[in-house]
Amino acid sequence: MKKSFLIVRANLCRAKGQTASIAALMLIASLMLNLWLMLSMDYKRNFERYHDKLNAEHVTLALSSDDAGMRDFVSETLEKDARTEEYCIDDIMFMVGSFEYNGGEVNTEFVIFDRQTALNRPVGKIEIVEDSEFTSGIYLPMLYGADHHISVGETIDIMIGSSTVSYTVCGFLNSVMAGSHNCSMSALVLTEDKYKELEEKGFAPKATLASVRISDKTQCEEFEAALKNTVSARYPSVRALSNAYTQVSSSRYISQMICSGIVSAMAFFVILIALVVISSSVINYIQENMKNLGVLKAVGYRSRQIISALLVQFLGITLLTAAAGAGLSYCLFPAVNRMMIAQTGIPYQVRFLPVPFLLTMAVTSGAVALVVWRSARRIRRIEPITALRQGVQTHSFRRNRVPLETTRAPLQIALALKNTFSGIKQNIIVCITMLVLSLVVVFSALLIENMLMDIQPFLNLIVGETADSCINVNSEIEREFLQMMDEEDCVQKVYLYNTVEVRQVGGTALYANLSEDFSKVNNQQLCIEGRYPRYDNEMAVAAKYAKENDLKVGDEITLTAEGKEAEYLISGLTQMSNNLGKDCLLTRSGYERMGALQNASYYINMEEGTDIDAFHAEVSEAFGSDVNASINVLEVINGTAAVYVSLMKIIVTAILILGAAVTAFVLYLLVRTMLNSKKRDYGIMKALGFTTGQLILQTAASFMPAVILSAAAGLAVSALIINPLTAVFLNGIGIVKCTFTVPVGLITAAGIGIVVFTFAAVCLLSLRIRKIAPRTLLAGE
Amino acid sequence: MKDILLKTENLSKSFSNGGTLQHVLKNIDLQLYRGDFTVIMGASGAGKSTLLYALSGMDTPSLGRITFGEEVISDLSSDGLAVFRRRHCGFVFQQIYLIDGMSVMDNVLSAGLLVNKDKKALLRRAGELFRAVGISEETQKKFPAQLSGGEAQRVGIVRGLINSPEILFADEPTGALNSKTGLDVLDTLTKFNGQGQSVVMVTHDMRSARRGNRILYLKDGAILGECELGKYVHGDRERHERLSTFLTEMGW
Repeated sequence: MKKSFLIVRANLCRAKGQTASIAALMLIASLMLNLWLMLSMDYKRNFERYHDKLNAEHVTLALSSDDAGMRDFVSETLEKDARTEEYCIDDIMFMVGSFEYNGGEVNTEFVIFDRQTALNRPVGKIEIVEDSEFTSGIYLPMLYGADHHISVGETIDIMIGSSTVSYTVCGFLNSVMAGSHNCSMSALVLTEDKYKELEEKGFAPKATLASVRISDKTQCEEFEAALKNTVSARYPSVRALSNAYTQVSSSRYISQMICSGIVSAMAFFVILIALVVISSSVINYIQENMKNLGVLKAVGYRSRQIISALLVQFLGITLLTAAAGAGLSYCLFPAVNRMMIAQTGIPYQVRFLPVPFLLTMAVTSGAVALVVWRSARRIRRIEPITALRQGVQTHSFRRNRVPLETTRAPLQIALALKNTFSGIKQNIIVCITMLVLSLVVVFSALLIENMLMDIQPFLNLIVGETADSCINVNSEIEREFLQMMDEEDCVQKVYLYNTVEVRQVGGTALYANLSEDFSKVNNQQLCIEGRYPRYDNEMAVAAKYAKENDLKVGDEITLTAEGKEAEYLISGLTQMSNNLGKDCLLTRSGYERMGALQNASYYINMEEGTDIDAFHAEVSEAFGSDVNASINVLEVINGTAAVYVSLMKIIVTAILILGAAVTAFVLYLLVRTMLNSKKRDYGIMKALGFTTGQLILQTAASFMPAVILSAAAGLAVSALIINPLTAVFLNGIGIVKCTFTVPVGLITAAGIGIVVFTFAAVCLLSLRIRKIAPRTLLAGE
Repeated sequence: MKDILLKTENLSKSFSNGGTLQHVLKNIDLQLYRGDFTVIMGASGAGKSTLLYALSGMDTPSLGRITFGEEVISDLSSDGLAVFRRRHCGFVFQQIYLIDGMSVMDNVLSAGLLVNKDKKALLRRAGELFRAVGISEETQKKFPAQLSGGEAQRVGIVRGLINSPEILFADEPTGALNSKTGLDVLDTLTKFNGQGQSVVMVTHDMRSARRGNRILYLKDGAILGECELGKYVHGDRERHERLSTFLTEMGW
């Protein structure tokens, strides 16, 4: 072993730059790998930890009534169900509302608790994560306090129904099942005085919240649907809203899932590049040190010892850098955690996680060991005498590529092309790097085009239907409301788009989006197969749900709502991520085969420049309490989308920087290897009269064929596969087909940028040619 | 009156060696003449190769001036020196230094195309030179590793002469060859010198030195003496004796 260490020391001393670059690549790879493993293995488990810690419910049912009889019925229903393990029923207020957040507006269903009740519930306890000296006011979910969008002590205006109330923010809370607008309902906790005050004002009805823990949480969605249907059938006039463990746990971790997917892809690509570079380094080492290897064998070293030395050398670098990279990921993790908390709204304590760490070490060192061993096996075939006599045989003499005698290319280009053809390994590494960089660039361009420059395509995909305004009115005044809309000059288009809950018989709950005429809705890309429903016996169902339940266009399924059942023919498949792919589209008349709408949401397109808030005030004034909610959709979208946009900005910046850094490292290694292996040739050429500038340009030009071809192919292929690939990433939230605009212009510009960047980088890295002096040849160095 | 091709005045070269300054060349005043076969001799470490690097523009002197015609080459930048070398100099190295990845013909053309853009004329010139040194068309397509030492050095000479340089610098051109092939190489150099090609050759081999018409003897970085031998004639015993006497005087 001691002999092997002598070889390792000699190798490391000779190749400091190469060692540093491989170390940098492995550092980035292990950083990404450990980060991904932490995000995917532990981050979501945090939800379960808090669920257990706060004894949170598996099913939540909010009912817009505090009727004692109804509460008894709910209790009775729960106690009859053998699956019920524990439950509690509390007084709350329950109403649609909104408040300003992150430059936009949050609009959700508020479940409003008084502080005492919230903190002492046996099931679904709420914890205060940030408190203050303020004793009168409101506690908001901690999501809204992340990144200081809303701060303690600030006064916040909250619209509850159609009335506005102002509160001092006393602190922030953590509620597992109602801690974010992604949970279908959002908990607000008021101090006792404020709770009483709101109760007296009557802006929100006194209501009931049933929180249920069940014995088998995998059945939570069925349990939720059954409970809600039973209660709605008995109390049809009571508005009911529910959520379930599986739905909440998924919807709160959408960003974590996307982020984790991107980090995993980057980790995989960086490891791949690092392994290719290591393999190439080993092969180069063997070629460049053929005579030295011959000497070692001649003095008695065995192949196994030399291979072991290479394994020790590369494994040593890998283990050290993997440990450092994993350590560095802990330095980065608090920033990622802050970003994630702003999405999940659940606190996460960063701590050392041994399993991801050990897996990172094992995967990186295992992969490196395998690659080094495979690449170094050829040492066994080297005969000492042959190695000493012949040294390195690096050139193929089968064909003289680009013969100067016949070529029409200028001398510099011809010599560059000769270098290109003689460096197959170099070309392979360049191609792999460029393919990865192309994918990164196309993905970034896709995000820039569809999220950062114009968010509409993203909204169409993720949010589904959008308009300028959404007004929910009681059904009794629909005719008058529509008449008023007809008369308003600022209204361009008004159409019904109302979400209700239905359930497939034998299946789970679905959110049904109702419209009278789907040709009127703004987003005509919801239906990805077949067509929108036209008749009352038709429906379109989410593609993800259809796939999971083996449904296809033309199948018939039975839905139930409000105690009635009806059969529908599937006319099309849709994709929306609002409810993680548990959606369907029904015509209004189709829904009315099961039940009547008590209230209806109308989406409105407004004329450019309309003051939407003033318009809402006008409608409220005209219809008073028959207007249940007025939503400035753009503001709401801005509020929620801003979080995604800022996340995507960080992701785009990070992956572009990472892509550029990895490319620079790879180019550094390639150029360095080239300069070392061709040092003699450069010396000869300088002696013959080639200037340093000519040799630098020749070197840079020799990289260009592989760079241009692989970047062009990579960009073209990436542009073709990027939508399906993104759909794979987003599949978890119900997206099966991505229809993002692929920005050809931006990608072409990026392609030119890649070529220019590579050329400039190789030129800069080749500046070492200046130091190659022709006299070293004569000195026999 | 001989035509001066290259001239040095107070040429000195020093190297820093472990903190101490080592003076390798000391105030050398020298003139090289057109058409001469100048041989630089001396013991190991005398500064022969250093003088050759300086004269050929491969290295810059620490002090002094080197003038080529009217051009002061000692003041040129490294790129200026590269241009000087490609236009005026040809090189033949002890280790031959052909580029492994290029065929024989490409090795020659890579140097030729740097100066001469007329490929037809260049190919004609290459053909003449290859014929003159006895390299067949088949061999021209081979790669350096497929050549014998003698063939490779003859290709090196063709490369050195492809641009019709005013001076051909040869650094121990037979040092890596056996005696028969070494002799062939010397015959080739002598033949081209006979056609008017100026040659400056460094050697410590007396048999090689005999080919020169002017012998410079270097000792401790200074020219200790020089000897005029006149035009080389094969089997000239007197010439051999004169050289022996000169070298004995120089302490060889």
